[in-house]
Amino acid sequence: MVPATDAHWYKDAVIYQVHVRAFQDSNGDGIGDFRGLAQRLDYLQRLGITTLWLMPFFPSPLRDDGYDISDYYSVHPNYGTLEDFKSFLTTAHQCGIRVIIEMVLNHTSDQHPWFQESRKSADNPFRNWYVWSDTDTRYQGVRIIFVDTELSNWARDPVSKSYYWHRFFSHQPDLNFDNPEVRDEVWNVMKFWLEMGVDGFRLDAVPYLVEREGTSCENLPETHQVIRELRAKLDQQFPGRMLLAEANQWPTDLGPYFGNGDEFHMAFHFPLMPRMFMALKLEDRKPITEILKQTPQIPDPCQWCLFLRNHDELTLEMVTDMERDYMYDEYARDRAMRLNVGIRRRLAPLLDNDRRKMELMNGLLMSLPGTPIIYYGDEIGMGDNVRLGDRNGVRTPMQWSGGWNAGFSSADPESLYSAIVLNPLYGYQAVNVEAQKRSAHSLLSWMRRLIEVRKSTQVFGRGTIEFLYPNNHRVLAYVRQLGRETVLVANNLSGSAQAVELDLARYKGSILIEMFGKNLFPRIGELPYLLTLAPYQFFWFRLRRL
Amino acid sequence: MRSVIVTELSHSAQGFGRSIVEFLPRLLVMLIIVLVGWVVAHLAKLILRKILRLVKFDRLSENAGAAQLLTQAALPSSTEVMCRLVFWVTWLVFILAGLSELGIIGLQEHISLFLLFLPRLFVAVLIFFLGMIAASFLSRAALLAAVNAQLPSARVIAYSIRAIILLLTVSMAIEEIGIAERTILIAFSILFGAVMLGLAIAFGLGGQDLARRTLERRFSERERKDAKEDELSAL
Amino acid sequence: MSEESILSDDLLRQLISVGEVDILVGLPTQNNAKTIGETAQIIRSGLLKYFPRARTAILDADAGSRDGTPGLVTAAAISDTGESEMPQSLRTMHCITTTLAGTEKKGTALQTMVAAADLLRARVCAVISPETTRITPEWIDRLVRPIYQDDFDLVTPTYRRHAYDGILITNLLYPVTRALFGRRVREPNPADFAFSGKFGAYLMDRESWWQELGESGAEFCFTAAAIAGDYRLQQSFLGTKDRAENRSADLVLAMRRTLSALFWSLDEYYDAWSNHNSESQPVPTEGAEYETTLEPVRVNRKRFYEMFRSGVADLEPVLATILTTPTLEELKRCINTAEASVPFSDELWARTIYEFAGSYHHAVISRDHIIQALVPLYRGRVYTYLEQINVASPQKVEQDIEAVCRTFERCKPTLAAMWARRQGGS
Repeated sequence: MVPATDAHWYKDAVIYQVHVRAFQDSNGDGIGDFRGLAQRLDYLQRLGITTLWLMPFFPSPLRDDGYDISDYYSVHPNYGTLEDFKSFLTTAHQCGIRVIIEMVLNHTSDQHPWFQESRKSADNPFRNWYVWSDTDTRYQGVRIIFVDTELSNWARDPVSKSYYWHRFFSHQPDLNFDNPEVRDEVWNVMKFWLEMGVDGFRLDAVPYLVEREGTSCENLPETHQVIRELRAKLDQQFPGRMLLAEANQWPTDLGPYFGNGDEFHMAFHFPLMPRMFMALKLEDRKPITEILKQTPQIPDPCQWCLFLRNHDELTLEMVTDMERDYMYDEYARDRAMRLNVGIRRRLAPLLDNDRRKMELMNGLLMSLPGTPIIYYGDEIGMGDNVRLGDRNGVRTPMQWSGGWNAGFSSADPESLYSAIVLNPLYGYQAVNVEAQKRSAHSLLSWMRRLIEVRKSTQVFGRGTIEFLYPNNHRVLAYVRQLGRETVLVANNLSGSAQAVELDLARYKGSILIEMFGKNLFPRIGELPYLLTLAPYQFFWFRLRRL
Repeated sequence: MRSVIVTELSHSAQGFGRSIVEFLPRLLVMLIIVLVGWVVAHLAKLILRKILRLVKFDRLSENAGAAQLLTQAALPSSTEVMCRLVFWVTWLVFILAGLSELGIIGLQEHISLFLLFLPRLFVAVLIFFLGMIAASFLSRAALLAAVNAQLPSARVIAYSIRAIILLLTVSMAIEEIGIAERTILIAFSILFGAVMLGLAIAFGLGGQDLARRTLERRFSERERKDAKEDELSAL
Repeated sequence: MSEESILSDDLLRQLISVGEVDILVGLPTQNNAKTIGETAQIIRSGLLKYFPRARTAILDADAGSRDGTPGLVTAAAISDTGESEMPQSLRTMHCITTTLAGTEKKGTALQTMVAAADLLRARVCAVISPETTRITPEWIDRLVRPIYQDDFDLVTPTYRRHAYDGILITNLLYPVTRALFGRRVREPNPADFAFSGKFGAYLMDRESWWQELGESGAEFCFTAAAIAGDYRLQQSFLGTKDRAENRSADLVLAMRRTLSALFWSLDEYYDAWSNHNSESQPVPTEGAEYETTLEPVRVNRKRFYEMFRSGVADLEPVLATILTTPTLEELKRCINTAEASVPFSDELWARTIYEFAGSYHHAVISRDHIIQALVPLYRGRVYTYLEQINVASPQKVEQDIEAVCRTFERCKPTLAAMWARRQGGS
């Protein structure tokens, strides 16, 4: 069962991000569903993850993979019924796994009844639920997010013959948060799911809730006000539940989303992710240390969410032009791999399927301050299919076995929601859970071990971080500390063996215990501590005064 | 009386004949020694010539200025001089050894004295030679430095240095040989003093102008600027 | 000399931290605090601007500065340790310093750079004169890119210079290099240049080379070795070179350095120049091949002549051992003509240099004395040159230099004869 006592449970969590559609099909229609997901909970339990983050599963025309919701109070029939969801939730909690669901509040689908009403006439009661205008000239200068598909943030509605505001696709009209009715209704939606037992929400597209003339319409104080209202209601009525912000912003702009601990519990650290890849390619720790230096201190109950890859492209909005060009050239030479301002690839192909790099990057993910998120399939090194449109290349079915449809579904291959990856390197016959379960050396087994070690101490989730700056810039070293527990982490970001001298004078006399093998390393003495690291190797040491 | 005379004469003749008989083998030995000596000396000369050619002694002595000295004295090359010297000294030693073999009283003493004197002579010659090298090298270094530092009378400086070193060398060589030490020492002192006095007077009188100019240059802006321009633009 | 003996433990430790670089920039400093801070910053911005993705490092090989020069260089480093605002850059950039042992440092500094570049597997190593005050970020691009992109092995600079500057180069080094080695390298003894890792490794292997060059103008030997070894040369126009008045100038010292390197190269690369008989070939050049300016500058030419005349008179016995009789006679005629005429002709100058080179080769007297004996003659030549260009246009100056070069090329057999004759003689 989920331990109910700790209000800060999300700090120690290891989150697994999955789309119901992609995980397991139980009824043979070629689309994953909640019953299937429930069947696979034992796998997730064995992997060691503590929290599931489900991507949108609401009724939707599915023009943006479910982020265009047409009914907030139900489950898309493809994925089962509300009852299926409830029983899944119960099973998950029994397995000790918490469940976070997605809440897309900024916009709805244009098929949502609210919008259908709203567009009917200017005096419809729902008119004011969306942002309407007679011209497309308001809010000039606001950036367009999907630059590859959209030309303007305004779209002309032929029915009402006026323009509506949309920050994402034109079929996703933005809700008008200046309208108290909208805010009330949003809370009703959340309450509906909270009462059912979900442990938290990932709130999508948070910075864009409120619009004001003459601003970038992002991160406005009014938006924060909306969030504070929601948080207050949550704390009051459902203590111990969690809000996670999706706000793709610079660290300094992200800080406010934590408020004084009265807005979000967690937020994604978007700028860090591309820099981890950049540091690896540059063989230089500077991008990582620099961005973490710029990262503001956050209130005590708050926590960063770290991830390597997710369902979106590897976003390059939060890097400089020079860095973006570099990332494109190094990670996405093929233009087909690029989408919007980012790279639509999975972890393994990004890292040349190099096991050492995958281990190092996951090691960083688990040891830097924050709560790690694993994107489904990355724990076995699944590949992608850049020939599929939009971001569907990284949303292919989970590869369970080498059998029929990779064990994902009993349907005909043609009727699967998406083709399974078939190439010789990443195809399901080469990369699948069943095979990796049988090998103690597989990436899956290794990930299980990594999560186990990570969970053996709270220092990674809650401890402070202090960077050591050895002269060798290819070695990223830091000390995590929580109470009397001290952990030293040293990562070799380069593809060649490195010698490094660490200044550990403060910990003189301590013994190093390597955390995976529990083996002893020499005591820290007067001299700088000399470590040698194999290519892409990392060490986690527990420091003990004995 | 006649008989006495005859007896004496015959005695003398006998004695003379005995001494002749006694002396002849010695003479023969001496001649042999001298002959062998000539052969040995000749060999030594040949070997030395080979060695000196090998170490390019000529160039060395040319550098030292010894060659010029020899040319001025209408002597052959320094290698040749050395070879002949060795030849003659070696042969002389053998000749003297042969002479002493003759057993002439008094001569032996002188010969042994001469033989004792030989090594010192060698050392003296060596000192002289090295002195020549040093004098030549240092005077040329001084000449070049003086010319490039634009000192006036560079040649005088160079010659003075050469003279002083040569004087020093000669005095050291003579001391090594040990002939008429006192006389030479006194003569040297007088000479050295005279040279120094001469130099001092010469510089005192002739240097007035230089000293004035030096001071002027130091304190005159214009002069200094000129000098600077010249140096700098030459690179 | 082996690598171990020239790299201190401290430098080695720093090199371990640097790891591997694409571009290394070396600064052979000694008490350059006045200019070096800015120079290092400009080098850094050049590297960031033109090679933003390359792994780079700056190496300060310091000859025992007492004015804090190394500290000013390290201040240009880009690392994540400092608190200060960092320029936008992808990578860490190390600035490492080492203090050289020994007395004469320039050759050691260059050797240290070559060794460091070799150990760091640098593709390009640029050497920048710490005295330069006119450096711009473009210099880095122009020096490094030909090697970085087009696989050249040695990039020498060309400058915009005053006609009175670099006379030792235009009247001696350039003509001799061009005549003997057959390549028109305008600055054969460059203060700022760059070489490839491949060429550096080749130099590294030649131990005797460094022993000889400990104290002389090793830069020239880079040029000579590159030409003789058939490495790919390029010239890049950098911009205005400082007037010499900004630099410390000791003519005798400068001549000692450059000429010992030049004459040494003639010995070392005898095969290269003795077999080269065709006309000299130009070197591919990016930008102008040269630019000459002629703002009026006050020069006391008369003094040069005076120094020449008294020098020849005083050094006659020394010159007699170096020069052939006809040449010496002609020189003596020079000092006896009226001052206003042009005494020191191109041909006489060329013959003089070649005979000095020959005498240096045979070491007729102490080699250092030979070079010193050339100084007054050089002054005479400078006098003539200044007279020639006194009222000339920049084009005329260039024509004159070209004429000198052609004379040197024509007189090349003189040197070959000097070499052969004396060799047989002793």
